[in-house]
Amino acid sequence: MKGLELHNGEEMKLIRLAQKGDKRAFTRLVKKYEDVVFRFSVKVCRDGEKAEEAFQDTFVNVFKKLKQFDGKSKFTTWLYKIVANNCLMKRRRSKLDQASVPLETPEGFREEPLRDSDGRVIQTVPSWKSTPLDRVMNAELRRILDKAIEKLPPEYRAVFVLRDVEEQSAEETAKILSLSVPAVKSRLHRARAFLREQLHPYMKA
Amino acid sequence: MTTKLIRIRNCADVAAHICENLDYKLNSRKCREIKKHIARCANCTAYLDSMKKTVKLYHLVPNPRVPSSARAKLYKVLKLAK
Repeated sequence: MKGLELHNGEEMKLIRLAQKGDKRAFTRLVKKYEDVVFRFSVKVCRDGEKAEEAFQDTFVNVFKKLKQFDGKSKFTTWLYKIVANNCLMKRRRSKLDQASVPLETPEGFREEPLRDSDGRVIQTVPSWKSTPLDRVMNAELRRILDKAIEKLPPEYRAVFVLRDVEEQSAEETAKILSLSVPAVKSRLHRARAFLREQLHPYMKA
Repeated sequence: MTTKLIRIRNCADVAAHICENLDYKLNSRKCREIKKHIARCANCTAYLDSMKKTVKLYHLVPNPRVPSSARAKLYKVLKLAK
């Protein structure tokens, strides 16, 4: 988990104390992870109200189930799993986003590239603007990106956020979402390719 | 355990596997083949660059902070000291 790791030993000590009912130790765990849990909830649930609910439910679940945490997996893996369950369960309950992500063929893409008479590849896939990204990012692009993320089914969004934002490995992501590693890789590919296609008209040079 | 060997023959193969590790820090045979293909293919270079930019753009979106009302509610429910 980005920038928040306690030394394993220190964190485990805190968890053990909280498991024995030490309220101060539990409070420290909550303070440590509240931003992470909220950020992940917002990015996966996408709905402010549902994200707040998932945030509350996650820590209530952690409080109730902390004794079941055996330390065999990373605490963060266990925590992300609870958040993901809360967010994805809410989405399933509301019967939204059952569709899978279409994998569009990129503009100009050919299995075998066109070549000139010297055998050099002719570029048919348009390059993106070379302007620094922080200068490209404006209100319009932010809105396009936001809409694109919104269109991603939550199961794909969760993989994208865990791998590309929370920087979890494919193996950890698979454990968190109860998927196989190949399924994580395939969903990540589809999610990234889908987002790329949505941004492409705006970003191509 | 045997490792499944995946042949990288064309742009479609590269596109299918390009996402596993965008920075290609891995040195597997598959990654070496992908790198070799990208080095001489303008289309795959453009595609990889746009994939990397997609992820980087998402990183520019500011992270949400816990609203104080949500935090207060949580601490009240769990009877935690602020």
